[in-house]
Amino acid sequence: MTKRAGRHATASRRGPAVPQRRRHRRLRPVSKRGAAAVLLCGVLAVGTGACGLALASQSGHGARPAGRPSLVPVPRGDAAPVPQPSDGEKVARPASLIIPSIGVRTRLIRLGVTSSGALQVPASAAVAGWYTFSPRPGGIGSSIIAGHIDSLAGPGVFYRLHLMKPGQRVYVRRTDSSLAVFRVTATHMYLKAHFPTADVYGPTPTPQLRLITCGGTFDPATGHYLSNVIVFATLVR
Amino acid sequence: MRLTAKFARPARLAAVIGLALGLAGLAGPAASASPVAAAHSHVGWLRLAHLSPNTPAVDVYLYSFGNPSAKIVLKHVAYGTVSGYEAVRAGEYTVAMRGAGAPAGSKPVLSTTVNVAAGKTYTVAGMGPASGLRLQILKDRLTTPRGKALVRVIQASLQQHKVTVRTGRNVLVRNLAFAAVTPYKTVSAGTWNVRAAGETGNAAESIHLAAGTIHTLVILDDPGHLAIDNLVDAAGSRVLPAGAVQTGFGGAAPVPGSSPLPWLITVAAGLLVTLAGIARLRKSRRALHVR
Repeated sequence: MTKRAGRHATASRRGPAVPQRRRHRRLRPVSKRGAAAVLLCGVLAVGTGACGLALASQSGHGARPAGRPSLVPVPRGDAAPVPQPSDGEKVARPASLIIPSIGVRTRLIRLGVTSSGALQVPASAAVAGWYTFSPRPGGIGSSIIAGHIDSLAGPGVFYRLHLMKPGQRVYVRRTDSSLAVFRVTATHMYLKAHFPTADVYGPTPTPQLRLITCGGTFDPATGHYLSNVIVFATLVR
Repeated sequence: MRLTAKFARPARLAAVIGLALGLAGLAGPAASASPVAAAHSHVGWLRLAHLSPNTPAVDVYLYSFGNPSAKIVLKHVAYGTVSGYEAVRAGEYTVAMRGAGAPAGSKPVLSTTVNVAAGKTYTVAGMGPASGLRLQILKDRLTTPRGKALVRVIQASLQQHKVTVRTGRNVLVRNLAFAAVTPYKTVSAGTWNVRAAGETGNAAESIHLAAGTIHTLVILDDPGHLAIDNLVDAAGSRVLPAGAVQTGFGGAAPVPGSSPLPWLITVAAGLLVTLAGIARLRKSRRALHVR
């Protein structure tokens, strides 16, 4: 039954017998145009794919420019003297942060810890904050400053932090208008699961600075980045 | 001819797809995290002190072992002076003391060798009476018990041969002899009324010992009195935040769909379609020629 029906169907498709030659003649120009169309589609697809690839291969960092480094000048003014071991907490509180090499100039808000014990972060992505339970910048110990890499809408104050290189300078202006100047010693990225708590918050014998932001892969499921970028710096004057 | 064409086409296709996949490998997201690396892997710290009451001022020289040119020279260091910590590469160093103003090439009054380990801190102090002056190497600490402070005492008073030091009502050390050093003791964080009492003289000072800080209290002779010098050996955060820092909302992150795979597939499919188009175009031309 099925076989017969099949055969019948084949036969009926062939049914309206068109002379072979005529069919060829009518189809050939169409097939050429068709081939050209197929070719065009193919080229378009390759082009689209290549563009997509190019966009996708650009990581979030650097995809959109944030800040123009050249616009933030090196701050002027006397640097505060390096504290002697008996100076204790004699340096003033920090007021603003200036990093000319990555175009950062921001006031510093105060940060504490959240109810769950984590480091509090600024509510705004446009400002950085100083962790008030850490030493003051320029005092003995490592002072902690945290800022966002981005907001929901775009780049944040520490968008370019991962670009900092050893030797670059970081300036902290304090409330008495004195200036603490730091030299970057290292920039590292750590998976958040392996956050180096002791290296960041632990005691140090000299005045140092840690700048913290996010980096690496963004996990849309949790709304968080998987890594932290940390800049280690030491006081020069 | 036909044979080569037959082989060439799949070969070309394979090459193209291979190239596309290779590009994908290049475009793939970079490794997201570097392994944990200590920030100061090869550095130790050294500070120099003059704690001998009846020894005149000295010049202190620090040499990298075997290198005759001094790395650090502290001029005219008087009794009671303690330098800040100097970061130095881990290794062997020589500390030499010369009388203040003595030529750098002259024979030192005294010298000692100190082996600086990476990540460790040391105080090299001239201690004792002038007649028995010696350079003592003290190992300093860099970690505190959580939420606590560490304190030790250096007794550098010659006027009071034995000194008792109290933080509030607690005795930190009783009858500490001249030129002696206590080990570090764990102290609850807070502001303490620190008192040092000798037989005929004493001193009191309000000293803030924050959690996560390490202190050395030096008992010094002040003409007619005692004095307490509070040295901060190291300081960290008073409260250690838990875990990592959530400093991003993702607004500048690559969009989730930005995996290169769909684009790669598009490119590969496009290439296939292009090749198919070329093939059909040729076929139709050949057919025309035949006709």
